[in-house]
Amino acid sequence: MSATAATAVRRSATGLALLWLLAPLLPVVLWAVSSRWSGRARLPQELGLDGWTAALDAGLAPALVRSVLLGLAVAAVATPLGAWAGRLLGWRIARRPRLLAVALVLPVLLPPLAVAMGLDVVVLRIGVPGPLAVLAVLTVLALPYTAFTAAAGFARVGPGPEEQARTLGANARQARWLVTWPALRRSLALAGLLAFLVGWSDYVVTLLLGGGQLVTLPLLLGASASGAGNEPTTAALAVVAASPGLLLLVVAALVLRAARADATGRSGRMAR
Amino acid sequence: MTLGTQEGRQPRAVADLLPVVPVAVVAGGGMAAVVATSWGLMPLYGEPTPGADGWRQVATDLGPAVRETLVLSVGATVLALVVGLGIALVLLAGSPLVRAATLAVLAVPHLVGATSVLLWLGDGGWGARLTGADPGTWPELVAGPWPVATVLALAWKETAFVALVVLAAVAPGHRERMETAATLGARPLQRWTRVLMPSAAPALAATGLVVLVYSIGSYEVAWLLGRTTPEPLSVLSFRMFGSIELLDRPAAAAAAVTGSALALGLTLVAVAAGARLGRTLGAPS
Amino acid sequence: MTGLALEGVRHRYPDAAVDSVHAVDLEVASGGMLALVGPSGSGKSTLLRVAAGLEQPTAGRVLLGDRDVTALPPERRGLSVVSQRPHLFDHLDVTGNVAFGPRVAGVPRREARTRARRYLDLVHLDGLGRRRPGQLSGGQQQRVALARALATGREVLLLDEPFGSLDAALRSAMHELLGELRAAVDPTVLLVTHDLDEAALAERVGVLVDGRLHQVAEPGELYRRPATLTVARLLGGFVEVPGTVVPTTGGPQHRSAWGCWSLPGDAGAAGRSTSGDAVLLVRREDLRLVPDGPRDGHPTGPGVRGRVVASRRRGVRVVVVVETSDRSRVEVELAPREDVAVGTPVGVRPADGAAVWAVDAPEPDPSGTTRHTRHAADLPGSGPRACDDALRD
Repeated sequence: MSATAATAVRRSATGLALLWLLAPLLPVVLWAVSSRWSGRARLPQELGLDGWTAALDAGLAPALVRSVLLGLAVAAVATPLGAWAGRLLGWRIARRPRLLAVALVLPVLLPPLAVAMGLDVVVLRIGVPGPLAVLAVLTVLALPYTAFTAAAGFARVGPGPEEQARTLGANARQARWLVTWPALRRSLALAGLLAFLVGWSDYVVTLLLGGGQLVTLPLLLGASASGAGNEPTTAALAVVAASPGLLLLVVAALVLRAARADATGRSGRMAR
Repeated sequence: MTLGTQEGRQPRAVADLLPVVPVAVVAGGGMAAVVATSWGLMPLYGEPTPGADGWRQVATDLGPAVRETLVLSVGATVLALVVGLGIALVLLAGSPLVRAATLAVLAVPHLVGATSVLLWLGDGGWGARLTGADPGTWPELVAGPWPVATVLALAWKETAFVALVVLAAVAPGHRERMETAATLGARPLQRWTRVLMPSAAPALAATGLVVLVYSIGSYEVAWLLGRTTPEPLSVLSFRMFGSIELLDRPAAAAAAVTGSALALGLTLVAVAAGARLGRTLGAPS
Repeated sequence: MTGLALEGVRHRYPDAAVDSVHAVDLEVASGGMLALVGPSGSGKSTLLRVAAGLEQPTAGRVLLGDRDVTALPPERRGLSVVSQRPHLFDHLDVTGNVAFGPRVAGVPRREARTRARRYLDLVHLDGLGRRRPGQLSGGQQQRVALARALATGREVLLLDEPFGSLDAALRSAMHELLGELRAAVDPTVLLVTHDLDEAALAERVGVLVDGRLHQVAEPGELYRRPATLTVARLLGGFVEVPGTVVPTTGGPQHRSAWGCWSLPGDAGAAGRSTSGDAVLLVRREDLRLVPDGPRDGHPTGPGVRGRVVASRRRGVRVVVVVETSDRSRVEVELAPREDVAVGTPVGVRPADGAAVWAVDAPEPDPSGTTRHTRHAADLPGSGPRACDDALRD
């Protein structure tokens, strides 16, 4: 294949990839800014923020707050727990590594619906408040992500620097805080982000165990989407629900563009 | 937020199990409870009435539900693997825009993806409008005989997951491997089939299993985009759980247990097959 | 049988300000081996990659036999490469790796694996065929990489610092293996290395510095007659004596703070100018320390006085540093079991029969080129003869 043909293939493949990834969100964006888009029209006839007013009326603001709080709560619990497990895995100091690995993989394998269903009766009988039950289940669901992300970070850093700090006179706590912790900031931030997203995106567990009090953004969205004729509202809710993703898109694009501009690399004739 | 206070690296046996406890309590307890519920051992009110009533009630629906679940799960997995691999290859060639888009999609909730697909492929969706189809001629992609919309919605987000995992597995040393293969006489297509694909295979297998299992257990996408009969296991069990009839609860639990068994069973089969494959190829160190 | 030739090869990386390789002409005879040495960053790996087709030259040609392969991609060139890291394919076992070349050439699987086993025998790894790359040691992996390259059946082998990451004992075992392989398979080999001992395995050695080929000669010649000061410094072990070459009736003489050295003239040698600034080169092991004192009868001849300022051990011998009156320092290796205290005033003179060579003094030049012309050939057994002047301080 000649060089120009190869570039053409690469360009069209990139275009297709972008299309697949971003095009699905287009109608959401369009509906979110249209006030009238009826019949068979190709594009909205009138733009407006009616959908947003309706969404706010339906309880967008409190739902947003609840989603944020739930996400933060899941991150707050699942990240330290995951970091603990990640340290055991990443530095290979677990007494029973197999058991730990199985325990961490299980939440990925078991359907959340089944677990929530089973716990529903237990929770009701014992009298655990709904939101707490939701938090517990979502934390367990997020644990695999936080643990394995943290494990990768720990594996990369290694116990070496911390031991070195101990030989320089730091006690265990100092060594951890001053040496290992800062080196792991990025991994733990990523783990926290993943845990947040688990809490932010969840539908079924919140619905089942929330006891009706915990109306988060996904619940509101689900109710609106399954109804008929309120596309602008649904779209507005969907945009808000997707906002972490959209934010990430912008940030990642900027960061990656900057990183690429910095990097000087050899480019051989062979691209593959 | 502390990571424990003991000296030295070796944790005490108890501390070692700290992360295991919540999983055991929540996931293990939840599973035990749902199995018990399916056998009538954990009713909402009153005394337990052990028996297979729940299972009997849902028996006729289980078959079609399992079939529907497998159709959409396998479909979503295959699509996610194929497209995900394609995106990984685009990422290998280096494209910051695609990389950013992949990360972004990964952060979008499945329900939003499902909503988008609904707005695209529904009867009054953008797809119908753009192509100018007459009402009634637009194919039933949502809630139709085949779970097209569900498969697309599930696969869409999972392709980002597959792409990033495959990229992470293949990217290190990619250029050197390709150059080495070329100096050994491999033409471009041969480099792809004999070196690139095999090196991506383990990541594809692992992500494929994860996507498969996730799709089996997924609720909201199938609920929003699927038809009412037959329902996949998750939708069936949720519907029955919310019914007014208290007697439907064990049946709902039975459906949920079936889904879990399906997921676990497929995992065990895949892991065993993977282990056997590893042995025949010569176990890697 | 195919030889390898590089004609007028130039290369510059796309975002670089200067060429990494400046118009290099290189030739490896069919079945022979040429070693390319040079410091890091000299461009030798780049040159090898150009030969392999992994980089495109900005000018020049690559010829295999009499075929111009410059426009061909690596898979069609008919040569194979072994790099410093083995880059074995993890998804194949050892035999599968070695069989890769034949497989992609269309050889059926069974036959390819049989052929692979023969090459594994050659590198003494028979029996490890079913192992996976990850289960092998570094040296074993590199041997598999060698077998894999040879199994392609191609006649030209390019080795890019293949033993650089191995320890000294392994490396010498590999050198032996290379000899065996050359005897068995008779490939044309281009070896890139920074190890001079490894380079001495080849029939000819090329010295590449800053993208320029300073000299191509057989290894012994390189040490006897380095073409430039850069080459001499790369080889190491030379003592440099800056001075000037003056033509006299008795032949060209090198005059410096050490006195006069006769450079036996060889009229046919290079035919270039025999006067001007030049640096005399003496092998360090050809220098002797003599006690310095007013009553010693000084034999006439070049030499220099100074004091011992440092001394260190090198193996069983002692190497001392002598600082001369003009503040320059000379390293002298003492005879076995000889030792001298720091601070002793001494004289340094060449041993009888010491061979010398002179190269042009380097000219500071904006483009970094050093003109190098040979000044005089040495004749064995004709040591430096005394000037008319006696030993000078």
